[in-house]
Amino acid sequence: MGITLEPMTTTTNTADATQNASEPKDTPEREWTNPLRDPRDLRLPRIAGPCSIVIFGVTGDLSRKKLLPAIYDLANRGLLPPSFGLTGFARRDWSEDEFREFVKKNVQEHCRTHFSEDTWTQLAEGIRFVRGTFEDADAFERLSDTVAELDRDRGTRGNHAFYMSVPPRDFPLVAKQLSNCGLAKSDSDAWRRVIIEKPFGHDLESAKRLDTVISEVFDEDSVFRIDHYLGKETVQNLLALRFANTMYEPIWNANYVDHVQITMAEDIGVAGRAGYYDGIGAARDVIQNHLLQLMALTAMEEPLSFKACDLTAEKTKVLSAVKLPKDLGAHTARGQYAAGWQGSHEVVGYLEEQGIDPDSTTETYAAIRLDVDTRRWAGVPFYLRTGKRLGRRVTEIAVVFKRAPHLPFDSTATQELGKNALVIRVQPYEGITLRFGSKVPGGTSMEVRDVSMDFNYGSSFTESSPEAYERLILDVLLGDPPLFPTTREVDLSWKILDPIEEFWSTLGQPEPYRAGTWGPAQAAEMLARDGHRWRKP
Amino acid sequence: MIITMKDTETNEISNKIDELHEQRGEAALGRVLTLIIMTDETHLEDSLALANEASREHPCRVIAIVPSTRKANGEEHSRTYLDAEVRFGADAGAGEVIVLRTRGGLSHHLDTLTIPLLVPDAPIVAWWPTDAPSDPSAHLVGAMANSRITDALRSANPHRTLADLQRNWSPENIDMSWTRLTVWRAMLAALLDQPPHLPITSVKVTGPKGFLPMDLLAQWLRLRLNVPVTIEDEPDATAVTGVYLTRKDGVLSLERRPADQGEATVSVPGQQPQRTPVPTRTMQECLSEELGRLYPDEIYGEVLKALPLDSVK
Repeated sequence: MGITLEPMTTTTNTADATQNASEPKDTPEREWTNPLRDPRDLRLPRIAGPCSIVIFGVTGDLSRKKLLPAIYDLANRGLLPPSFGLTGFARRDWSEDEFREFVKKNVQEHCRTHFSEDTWTQLAEGIRFVRGTFEDADAFERLSDTVAELDRDRGTRGNHAFYMSVPPRDFPLVAKQLSNCGLAKSDSDAWRRVIIEKPFGHDLESAKRLDTVISEVFDEDSVFRIDHYLGKETVQNLLALRFANTMYEPIWNANYVDHVQITMAEDIGVAGRAGYYDGIGAARDVIQNHLLQLMALTAMEEPLSFKACDLTAEKTKVLSAVKLPKDLGAHTARGQYAAGWQGSHEVVGYLEEQGIDPDSTTETYAAIRLDVDTRRWAGVPFYLRTGKRLGRRVTEIAVVFKRAPHLPFDSTATQELGKNALVIRVQPYEGITLRFGSKVPGGTSMEVRDVSMDFNYGSSFTESSPEAYERLILDVLLGDPPLFPTTREVDLSWKILDPIEEFWSTLGQPEPYRAGTWGPAQAAEMLARDGHRWRKP
Repeated sequence: MIITMKDTETNEISNKIDELHEQRGEAALGRVLTLIIMTDETHLEDSLALANEASREHPCRVIAIVPSTRKANGEEHSRTYLDAEVRFGADAGAGEVIVLRTRGGLSHHLDTLTIPLLVPDAPIVAWWPTDAPSDPSAHLVGAMANSRITDALRSANPHRTLADLQRNWSPENIDMSWTRLTVWRAMLAALLDQPPHLPITSVKVTGPKGFLPMDLLAQWLRLRLNVPVTIEDEPDATAVTGVYLTRKDGVLSLERRPADQGEATVSVPGQQPQRTPVPTRTMQECLSEELGRLYPDEIYGEVLKALPLDSVK
C-alpha cells in the first residue's frame, strides 16, 4: 500500500546536514544549515524554537495592554512553538488559575487577531505564576523551579527570555537575583535573554552603570533593549522608501533638503505615570531613544545589508556625527503644560496633576536643534520635538525641501506656495504624504498653491499590520536583533542629550503652554530664528 | 450595494465605477492588484466571498468572468452580449467587484474585454477556483497575468489537472495544493532548526491515498533531505496525518490525527510530546497567502517537476 520515493543520489544525506553529526563539538554550530530552509522559499515563516518568556511586572499596564495580547497574537498566527511557556512574576496573592484568568481577560480585551479558544487552551497549558517580590530570594528559587519544570514538562529546553517590565531602579536587583539562582546563564545549547524597556538610564553615567550591572549578569548579545517605535512597520518602510527606490536618494542631502522636523506629540498628560515622569521629563523620556533613533534612520548612509551589525554601524556613525548648537538657549526650547481644554475636554496643568511636585521644573515639552556633521547633511538642521498635552497624537518625520532656485512666475503667483515636503507618518495612519505646489484651477492669472499626495500604508496593504510588540517579541525569541538599539547607540544618545539637560537644569521653571496647543512660544521663536516654522501635523 | 447592468459595454462599467468612487469619496488608487476569477455561476458567490475576505488584507479590484446562463429567446441565441454587475461596499470587501457574464464571441476575447477594467499599472492575478485550463499561461487572461493560481484539488480530475500543470509548467503558475502545505512545511523546518542537528536518514509521510498535497510534501522532503521518503496510505484520512523523520537518536514526528481535529502533536526524541493548534487551512488563508506573494515560487516548480504523477495515479 505504501510507496517509497528514492533519494536523488546514493549518499545518505546532504553534505551540510551531515557535518556536525560525526564530528566532535569543535565544529561551530553556526555552519549547520537547515536543509528544509531555502532562501528562495519566502513562504516559510520563522517560528520561534522551544522557549519560555518570564515577565517581571506582569500586572503592569504595558504587560496587560501590549505584552500579553502580543504573545497571544503570535500564538494565534502560529509563530510560537508548541513548546512554549509563559511565566508571570508578581506580588499578587494569586493561584495559577487566577493568573490564567487575568491573562485571558487582558488578551480578550486587547488582542488584535480574533480570540480562539483552541489557541488559548494550548497557550494556557504553558502559563505559570510565581508569587514574590524582587527582594525575596526564595521567590527566585521558586521561579527557577518553575522554569525547570517547563523545561521538563513543556520541552522549553532551557531557552528562556526575561522581560523586565519594571522600573529601571529594579533592574539591578532583578538581574542579581536571576544571577544568584543560576537563571542568568545556561549551558551551551540553550539561551537566556533579557529584554529591557526604555528608559535606559537617565544620563550617560547612569546608562553606563545600568549597563555594567546587566552585563555582569548577561552577555551583551543577550540583552535586547526594546523601543517599540522601532518595531513599527513604518520604520522599516522608511528603510524601504530610502533604499529600495531611486527617486528619493538623489535629493536626500543638503543640496535639496532645507531642514528636517521629527515630531512625537501626545495628547495625553502624565496621568498614571507621574511617579516615573517627574524629574525625567520629555527629552529623556522620548528624544533620547525614539526621536534620536528616527533621526539616525533618516540621516544614515545606506547600510551594507539589513543585518543588525550593518544597520547599527550606520546608525552609530550618524549619532557620532551629531553636533549640538553653540547657543543652547537660542536653539532649544522647553515647556510645561498648563491647565486648558484638550479638544473638548477640560484638563489640569502639569503642576496640578496628582503625584507631581507643585514646584516641579520637569519639562513636558522639549524641542532641540541638532546638526549632522557630514557632507550629506552640512547646514541642514534637524529639529526634534516632543510633548504631552499637545494638539493631537501624532508621530512623523518631515523632510522639508528647499524652494526652487528660480520660479518663472510672478511673485504673486506663488505667494501661497510653501516648501515641498515629504512626510513619513509613523502614527496614526502610517504612510507617506508628499506636499507640492499645483495650479489653482480656473482664473485668468496663474496661481500656485500647496496640495498633498497621500499614500496610506493601511489601505494599500493590510488593514491591520502586526503590533510592534509582536514583531519585537518574536525577534527576541528568534535571537534576531536588527531593530534593537545597542549599548553604544544608547551611550551616544546620552552624550547628545546630557549637555542640553545640564543647560536646562540652570533655567528654573519651563515656560508654560496651554494644554491642547502646539507648545510654548519659545519653540516657535527657536525655529523663527532659523527662518522656519513648525509644521502643524 | 449591487448594481446590475444588463446588456452593457465595458466603458459603461468603467464610468459607473468612476462615478461610484467619486460619490463615495474613495480613491481607487489604493488598490494594489486586479484579481480576475474565471469560474461559473455555481461557484461564483463562493469564490467572491473568498476574494472579498482576502481583499481586506490585499485591497484589490475583483473581476469575475462567468459564462452567461441568461435564457436567450429566438435570434438572441447566437448574439454576443455582456451583462455586468458592479458591487461596492458591504458586498465587495475592501475593494470593488465586477462580475462579467459573457455570451457569444466575447468569450473568445476575454483579455481585451478586461483590459479597460484593470487597475492601472498594477499586477494581475488570475485565479481558477475549480477547473483550470490545461495550460494557464496560454489562456488569454492567464497570459497577461503576473500570477496564475489554480486549484487541482477542487477540479473535476485532480490528478489529470496537476499532470497538465506539470507538463505546461511556467514560473508564474502556482497551485493551491502547495499553498495548503505552508503551515506543515514551516513546522517541519522549525522542528529541524532545533539541536541536535543530526542528519535525517529516512522519512515517512501518512495520509489519504493519492492526496495531492501529501505527494507534494513527500516530494519536497525527498528533494530537500535527499533521503528515501515512504508514503503510507491511511484509508479514512481527509488530509496529511503525519510526517516522521528518522535520525540516529530516534524519530521526530508531526502528527495531526484526525486531520480535521485542528490539533497537532509534535514529538522529539527525549522530550515530552507537545500539542499545538493547527487548524485545517481555510481557502481564504490560502488565497491571501497567494495574493501576498507575486514572485515565481521556484521551490514549488522544482517539487512539481519532480513529482512522479503517473505512478501515483
